[in-house]
Amino acid sequence: MLTEFETRLLGLMMMVIMLGMGASLTFKDFRIAFRKPQGILVGLLCQYGIMPFLGYALAVVLGLPPALAIGLILMGCMPGGTTSNIFAYFSKGALALSIMMTVCSTLVAVAMVPLLLEFYSQMKGLPSEYAVPAGNVAQVLVVLIVPTLIGIALRKWNPNVGATIELLGGALGIFVILFLVATWVPRNHMLLATTPWQVYAAAIGLGLVGMLIGYLLSKGLRQDDRRSRTIALETGIQNGPLAVLIVLLTFSGEMQQQVLLIPVLYSLFIVLSSSAVTVWFRRITTREELARDGAKVPTGLAPAAS
Amino acid sequence: MNETAAPYSLQPWLSAYGDQIPRDLAPPAHSSLAAYLRDASREHTTRTAFTTCMPNGMHGSLTYAQVDAYSDAFAVYLRQVIGLAAGARVAVQMPNCLAYPVAAFGILKAGCVLVNTNPLYTPAEMEHQFRDSGAEALVIVDMFADKLDGILARTGIRKVIVAEVPQFFSAIPRAVIRGVMKWWNRTLPPFTAPHIRLPAALAEGEAALKRDRIDVAAYTRDVGLDSLAVLQYTGGTTGVSKGAMLSHGNLLNNLDQAFAMGRSHIEPGREVVLTALPLYHIFAFTFNLLAFYGVGARNILVPSPRPIQNLQRAFDNYRITWVSGVNTLFNALMNEEWFTAFPPKHLKAAVAGGAALQHAVADRWQKITGTRIAEGYGLTESSPVVCFNPITGTQKPDSIGIPVPGTAVRLVNDAGEPVALGEAGELIVQGPQVMQGYWNRPDETARTIKAGWLYTGDIAVMDSEGYFRIVDRKKDMILVSGFNVYPNEVEDAIAKMDDVLEVAVIGVPDERSGEAVRAFVVPQRDGLTDEAVRRHCRRYLTDYKVPRVIEFRKELPKTPIGKILRKDLKAEFNASKAA
Repeated sequence: MLTEFETRLLGLMMMVIMLGMGASLTFKDFRIAFRKPQGILVGLLCQYGIMPFLGYALAVVLGLPPALAIGLILMGCMPGGTTSNIFAYFSKGALALSIMMTVCSTLVAVAMVPLLLEFYSQMKGLPSEYAVPAGNVAQVLVVLIVPTLIGIALRKWNPNVGATIELLGGALGIFVILFLVATWVPRNHMLLATTPWQVYAAAIGLGLVGMLIGYLLSKGLRQDDRRSRTIALETGIQNGPLAVLIVLLTFSGEMQQQVLLIPVLYSLFIVLSSSAVTVWFRRITTREELARDGAKVPTGLAPAAS
Repeated sequence: MNETAAPYSLQPWLSAYGDQIPRDLAPPAHSSLAAYLRDASREHTTRTAFTTCMPNGMHGSLTYAQVDAYSDAFAVYLRQVIGLAAGARVAVQMPNCLAYPVAAFGILKAGCVLVNTNPLYTPAEMEHQFRDSGAEALVIVDMFADKLDGILARTGIRKVIVAEVPQFFSAIPRAVIRGVMKWWNRTLPPFTAPHIRLPAALAEGEAALKRDRIDVAAYTRDVGLDSLAVLQYTGGTTGVSKGAMLSHGNLLNNLDQAFAMGRSHIEPGREVVLTALPLYHIFAFTFNLLAFYGVGARNILVPSPRPIQNLQRAFDNYRITWVSGVNTLFNALMNEEWFTAFPPKHLKAAVAGGAALQHAVADRWQKITGTRIAEGYGLTESSPVVCFNPITGTQKPDSIGIPVPGTAVRLVNDAGEPVALGEAGELIVQGPQVMQGYWNRPDETARTIKAGWLYTGDIAVMDSEGYFRIVDRKKDMILVSGFNVYPNEVEDAIAKMDDVLEVAVIGVPDERSGEAVRAFVVPQRDGLTDEAVRRHCRRYLTDYKVPRVIEFRKELPKTPIGKILRKDLKAEFNASKAA
């Protein structure tokens, strides 16, 4: 686990990153995100409909022992992680939509997370009392919203300052992603050697399969390609630190260590898989941009009969 | 009066002028561009004249007073420090950035001749243009200065001044942009040509200005309306690039003419004009740069409008009231959600030139922005504006509009005789904006300007209200078994296919029919067959107009502003036949 100091440092860096993300936006971007408000609803559906069920299903299919199953289901029930916004930014996705989705899923987390946990725990016959720290959820919101708003305001005040902060935020975002991976490995490398393959499959699969289903569902619900990619990332990326915190508050001793395993593994692999997916999505978006750039005027004629 | 000349001599377009457009063109209020620019600078001192807006929103600005002072310093640098004579040619080769107006205005104030040069030229093209114009100094952007390495010694250039895209930006944004260009985009190659940086040249000029108490206005005391101001190179139609000689009078008249067509929508000191087209191109040079400078507008310079996202921050951050563009630019904008969802609120007018504006693009633009795109027509050889659709009054789709004040236009046949109303003929122009000729090419000049009329090489038709419509380029016309085929007509028909992204049509020699129609098609998706294209053509075209051969391509050769180059396709075809 991260030390208290590292956690604070990470929180601070996250605020600077969100400041940068905010500086890349205008209120217009949020209004564009709200032009198709279904996007946010689709996101919520993915976040609290699909992901918890996916966690449950994976636990059943892979035959995970109860403690690990709890960890996986818990991970599935989490709101969107704040790192999803960094990935949305770098994949040239609809950043405003991503932020709105993170905010909304975090807002409803206080009510939804205990409810879902109770529901799925009962189905697996597991203990169903969880402590969801409302204070921490509020903290997530503050770290997300306040810097974003300041970023937007800074850019409006002076685009030079805005662009500089955006660049700093982006650079720091890459740094944090590397930092997360780099600090994880020396701390937890023992885990990697001793963990059975089912646990790997669960920890990696939750994120990747979540992205895939999120994408397909968004496409099915008529979101455009770029929004669908944004929702896919948002769906797959869960708030890992919040899951860890809930485990720490709810369990103790040996049980705590076991339940923690999947959230900890997930937190590593989601960064790696999201990075790969982001590079891929960015290429697609760039290709689409260039295609749009050269696209011709719609003729309004039916294609020639052939 | 010659009877057949009547439809044109009567100038039926004058009734479309309404009460906003003056019928007569007053002589220019200034005797030189230098005086014009100086007066505008003095009038609007503290207003922002230019803002360069980068794709990430970083920006730098110059006020009218700063532009005035810097361009004065640059004029002194050219004349006093490096010792150029009046009338010396100075080439400028850079994308839109703050250094452009400083250099261009400095050259004009020095009484020298500005040679606009496309920054994307190859070293061979640069060498041709520098030698042909006899340029003695060059202001070039650092991004392309490496292209000088092999050619500089073979030109007459004795001083190279290097500018940069974020020139005049404040320190941090400038450092960030240069860092990104150097390390991330890798667009700042090292170069070996001996040079001086623009700020150093300005400092030397300013020092000399103060030390020797130079009156910069004296440099242009002998400059009059007939003095050469700009050599504007054009590939024209024949391929070899030649310099159109535009005088101070040509340009001053033409900016007055352009202004006359739009003045109902121009409020001095309050306009913000988006300049996404390159300033080295005559359209943006006269229209955006010169005309709007005179009315105290703020010019938003975008170094590159491709991809079109590069314009998003400009639209987000500035209250754009005027925009000039070409068909492809307007079309690309309307493919962006950020533009269509929240179109610019303060936009008053948009003007299109350079290439034909498609009907569908004009319609969609009006629906989205609530303003109309006024289409105009011009040539490098006419500074450039000849015709425009009036911003107020009737605009006709697919029409280039009516002649601007002080301009006579006729349509003539091969013998040079005016054709009857409604018939197609070559468009010829007379007016104060018509160039003095091609630089050092009297033969070419004599072929283009005959008895005071500029022969444009464009075939057009005039309607009874005096609106003109371009049919095609004269030399692109295809003669199939004695019938005239206009490539535009065939291209328009093929472009109607949704499976077709772009198309170009040329005539090629044919044993049976003399010439045959050949189409080059860029398909929108795979699997398009030539038979499908031909079948489609037969629905719209008579048999002899349907292409004999259809060749599929991945892309088509284009000019910097996106006009498809049929002549390159022809040359390619001829070369392949010769081989």
